[in-house]
Amino acid sequence: MNIKRILIFLLLAAATLYFLLPSDEKEIRNNLASLAEYCSSSGKEAPIAALKNVMLAGKLCSYPCRVQVESFNIDQDFNKKEFTDHVLMLKKMTMNTRFSFHDTVINFPMDGKAELVSTLRLDGKTEDNRFTDAYELNIHAEKTNGNWFFSSFTVIEFMEQ
Amino acid sequence: MPGKELRNGIDISNSIRKFLFPALTGNYLTRLILLGLSCFLFFSYILIPMRIQGHSMEPTYRNGSYAFCVRPQYLFTPIKRFDVVTVRFTGRSVMLLKRVLALPGDTLEFREGTLYINEERIDEPYLQHHSSWNLPVREVKQGYVYVVGDNRSTSMSEHHFGQVKIERIIGGVLF
Repeated sequence: MNIKRILIFLLLAAATLYFLLPSDEKEIRNNLASLAEYCSSSGKEAPIAALKNVMLAGKLCSYPCRVQVESFNIDQDFNKKEFTDHVLMLKKMTMNTRFSFHDTVINFPMDGKAELVSTLRLDGKTEDNRFTDAYELNIHAEKTNGNWFFSSFTVIEFMEQ
Repeated sequence: MPGKELRNGIDISNSIRKFLFPALTGNYLTRLILLGLSCFLFFSYILIPMRIQGHSMEPTYRNGSYAFCVRPQYLFTPIKRFDVVTVRFTGRSVMLLKRVLALPGDTLEFREGTLYINEERIDEPYLQHHSSWNLPVREVKQGYVYVVGDNRSTSMSEHHFGQVKIERIIGGVLF
């Protein structure tokens, strides 16, 4: 009976440690969730709050940050100002849209570098309708001074017309 | 006799109570955990419940309706033309629902909304709106299928369609 109790205690302790201890993967996942939150916008978002969110989104990336979207002919290295300007423009274009990342897979090909594949889902509302859209993204991240920053975003276009 | 009926009445209510509120014995908990695990595995890997969001498969599948993705559908049978399939992105949380129009090696073309496969005009009874889509002839690569939604009332630029690797197809659709 005692051995059973000790085993259950050890399992619970291991599970608690696993959930509480910080790790690179957890930090990257948190950054991704934060990025989605900062890019999302609601009709009630005040301009100052929108600017603050854009600045916070900008702080999650390293610069130059590469963005590639083949269908929009975008293949460019952005500096911080260009990046935040584009995020602000994106927020204005996608008012009342919630961004979220799903099924994220993170690999660490070498120390201080991470490769992510994730599904970006957009849930939006226009005046008279709701819409949903999704994109597959390939994201690179780098560790600088102990913190993880996103260094590139590529939209994977797996459907060829 | 009235005593027996009473006893029987007590037995029945006891049985019902035992059935609805069984004693939490080790065996009962094991059965409960196994049942929960079986349901989780069945609805995660075999019959995946889906909530349809979007209008691209209307009128066949309406926005807000529910369906199941049948994962084993293509384990032993090949994908057929006009099957409705689920196409994955990175995982299974977000998937596209599309209809297979052309198979590997087929040619596909849209002329004023009319579908031509291998130069042959194809009737599509599942369509509600006739479109004016124009797409030049293209050949579907080996290992790919060509998928399109049933709702062609929107412009081509607003519609996700094209050839996708067969390995991206998670399964068929039930209901």
